[in-house]
Amino acid sequence: MNTYQAVRDAMSIALAKDDNAVVFGEDVAFGGVFRCTMGLAEEFGRERVFNTPLTEQGIAGFGIGLAMMGHTAIAEIQFADYIFPAFDQLVNEAAKIRYRSGGSFNVGGLTIRTPTMSVGHGGLYHSQSPEGFFMGASGLKIVIPRSPLQAKGLLLASIRDPNPVIFMEPKILYRSSVEQVPVDDFALPLGKAETLIPGSDLTVLTWGTPVYNSENAIKLLQNPPEVLDALIPKSLRQAKVELIDLRSILPWDVDHVVESVNRTGRLVIVHEAGMTAGAGAEISAEVQKRCFLKLEAPVKRVAGWDVPNALQYEKFHMPDSIRILDAIMETLSY
Amino acid sequence: MIRTAATARRTTSNAFQTRSFAQTALRKNKLPTTNSPIVNKLQFINSVTGSSAQIPTYRVLDGVGKPIEGAELPEIDKAYAHRLYEHMQLLPALDNVLYNVQRQGKISFYMTSHGEEATIIGSAAALANEDEVLGQYREMGVLLWRGFTIDDAMNQCFGNEKDGSGKGRQMPVIPQAAGVGYALKRDPNRRSKNIAACFFGEGAASEGDFHAGFMLASTIPSPTLYICRNNGFAISTPSTEQYYGDGIAARGPGYGIDTIRVDGNDILAVLNAVKEARRRTLEQGRAVLVEAMSYRVGHHSTSDDSFAYRARSEVEDRKRIDNPLTRFRLFMESLGWWNEEAENELKASIKTEVMKSFKRAESLKRCELGELFTDVYGGEEPWNIKEQREELSQLLKKYGQVWEPWRSELSKFKNNGKDLLGSQ
Repeated sequence: MNTYQAVRDAMSIALAKDDNAVVFGEDVAFGGVFRCTMGLAEEFGRERVFNTPLTEQGIAGFGIGLAMMGHTAIAEIQFADYIFPAFDQLVNEAAKIRYRSGGSFNVGGLTIRTPTMSVGHGGLYHSQSPEGFFMGASGLKIVIPRSPLQAKGLLLASIRDPNPVIFMEPKILYRSSVEQVPVDDFALPLGKAETLIPGSDLTVLTWGTPVYNSENAIKLLQNPPEVLDALIPKSLRQAKVELIDLRSILPWDVDHVVESVNRTGRLVIVHEAGMTAGAGAEISAEVQKRCFLKLEAPVKRVAGWDVPNALQYEKFHMPDSIRILDAIMETLSY
Repeated sequence: MIRTAATARRTTSNAFQTRSFAQTALRKNKLPTTNSPIVNKLQFINSVTGSSAQIPTYRVLDGVGKPIEGAELPEIDKAYAHRLYEHMQLLPALDNVLYNVQRQGKISFYMTSHGEEATIIGSAAALANEDEVLGQYREMGVLLWRGFTIDDAMNQCFGNEKDGSGKGRQMPVIPQAAGVGYALKRDPNRRSKNIAACFFGEGAASEGDFHAGFMLASTIPSPTLYICRNNGFAISTPSTEQYYGDGIAARGPGYGIDTIRVDGNDILAVLNAVKEARRRTLEQGRAVLVEAMSYRVGHHSTSDDSFAYRARSEVEDRKRIDNPLTRFRLFMESLGWWNEEAENELKASIKTEVMKSFKRAESLKRCELGELFTDVYGGEEPWNIKEQREELSQLLKKYGQVWEPWRSELSKFKNNGKDLLGSQ
C-alpha cells in the first residue's frame, strides 16, 4: 500500500465504523487531487463524502460546526499552502472552543487533512510546511506521518482523538512511500515520537519527508561514496547516530527527545520549513534548557532558508542529505 | 404594515423621535433608513431579475458566427479583426507546445487557455493598455495582447535567466483589486484614465477573498472592473457544486455593483461588454462585474487529468458545437476578411514562431543561484538571510563539485553557481 491508499483506507474504516463521520473538501468527490478519497463517494454516498466550494475558511468552519454537534468531520484542505484562509477558524475557534466554553463544548471530532512539504518543483504555493505557524495554538494537535503504515494508524488516532487535529501528509510520500499496511483497524499513539535508528553519539530529530533524507545522511556518514571519501573524516564514520521521527509536532514528545539527547549529548533538528520560528526553534529552546549540562555541542538546525520556496531553486532550498550530513559532522566534531 | 412598524418603533426609549421617523416613513412609504418600499404581501425573493428568470446572457454572434438580430456589432475593421484572431490562435499554439513540454518534464507546470480564447482576448482588447490587470493564472492572452512576446512567455515558463517577470520564482497568483483601483483614483495622473481589472474564476469566487474584495469595492468606491471567467469547472468541481444561486453575476447587485453576464465564447460580445463595463467603471468611479460564460476545454492544469471526472465526449462536443475560434472565424469569412488559405498560413507561421521561441528558451540557463536569496526584503538585508547565503556558499564550495545531485543542478544556473561558489 502506498501513502495515499493508506490514507484512503483509514478514512474508509472511519466512515464504515462511524455513521456520523463525513469527509469533505475541494475536489474530494472524484477522489481528490492526490487520490486520497478515491472511491469513497461511491462507497459511502455523496451525503457523507462531498465536494465543497473553494473556501478554506468555510471548510474549517463547517467542520467545526459538525464537530460541535458531536459528529466526526474529516476535512481536506487541498494544499497546506492554502490553509491560511482557515487560520482564524482553526486558531481562534477550533483551538479555543473547549477552553472558552469551560469544557462544555469541544471540536474533538474535527480532523483537517492537508498535503504538505515539497516535491522538488512546487514553487511558492505548493511546497510549504506550515506546521510551525500552529505551534502556539494550544488546543490543536499537529501530526505528520512518514509512511503508509504511520499515516493509517496516526490518521485513525487523529480522527478519534478528543481534540481537533491538523494532519499534514507529506505529498511526495503519497506515491513514493510503499510498505505493508495491516488492513484492519488500528491506531498509533499521538504525542509519541519513535526512534527509527538507535545511537549513542548524536540525535537527529525530524518528521515527514526529511526522515528519508536524514536516514540517507546517516548512511553516507557510515559508508561514504568515493566522491565524498575525502570530505568525511575517518574518525567520524563510526559515530552512532540516533534517528527519531517526532510524528506529533504539537504536543511534541519532550520526554523521548530529552532522554535521547541526554544520552547522545548532541542534537540536529531537520525540517523543511524556514529556520526562523520553525518548529525546530521551540524544540531547541526546550532541549537546551533541559539538557544544558549534557550537551556537547549547540543544537543545530537544518531547515529551509528564510526565503519563500522559489521554483527553480528548490533543490538548494530544501534540507537534503548532504546538508544534513554536513550538520551531523559539524556537530560531532564541535 | 406601516402601523406595525411604527408600533414596534415606539417600544424604543425615545418614543417622540421614533414617531417623527415613522411619520417621515409614512410620507415616503418607505422604511426610514433605506429606500426599500413598504409592501403588505408576505413575499420572499430569490432572484435579482424580479422574476423567476435567470440573469440573461449578452451575445452578438450566434454559434456559427452570424450576428444575432438587433445586436450591435463593435466597430472593428479587418486589420483589428485579424489582430484579435491572431491572438486567439496564438493561445492554443502556445498551449499545445507548453503542455507537451511539461509532459516531457522540461517545465514544472502549465495551465492552458483552451476554450477561453474569446473571453481572454476579448477582454484584453477592451481594456486600455495602461489599465492595471490583476490576473489569476489563465490570462496569458492578456499579457500577449499587451506586447508580452512569445519569448517572454517561454522564458517565464522555463524560469530561465531571461525570465524578467520573476527570476524563475513565479507561480501564477490571485487578487487585491479594490486597493489597486483606489490607488489609481488617488493618483492625479491616472485618475479618470485607468482602471484596475481583476480576473478570477467562478471557483475563486467562493473564497472569502471574493466577498471581502467586493464589499470593499462597493463601500469604498474605486474604478475596479471584475471579470469572472466562468468556465464551468474548478479543477474537478463543476460550477453546479460551486454555487446554487444564479451564477456569479447574481452577487453583483447584492453589493450594489453594475453587472452583466456575457457569452464568453463570443469575442465581439465580450469586447462590447467589457468596453461598456470599463466606461462605467471610469465614469462612476465604481466597481463593475462582468461574468463571462465559457467552458474549460483543457484540463485544469498539467497536474490534472479531467477525464477522471468528465467524459471525453462531453469535451469534444463542446469543442465542436461551441468553439470560440470557429465562431469568430466564420464571422470574418462571412465578411470576406478571412479564408482557408489565411487560416493555414496563420497556423503555420505561429507554429514556427512558437517552436523557435521554445528552442531559444530551452537552451537558456536559469538565473544566478544567488537570486535564491534576493528580493525577500527591500532596504537592508536582515542578518539571517546574509548568514544563510553564506552558509549555502560554504556548503557549495565543499560539496558542489563532488555531490552529484548538486553538481548537475548547478550546471543549470547561469555561470554554474559561481556567484555563490566563488572562483575556484
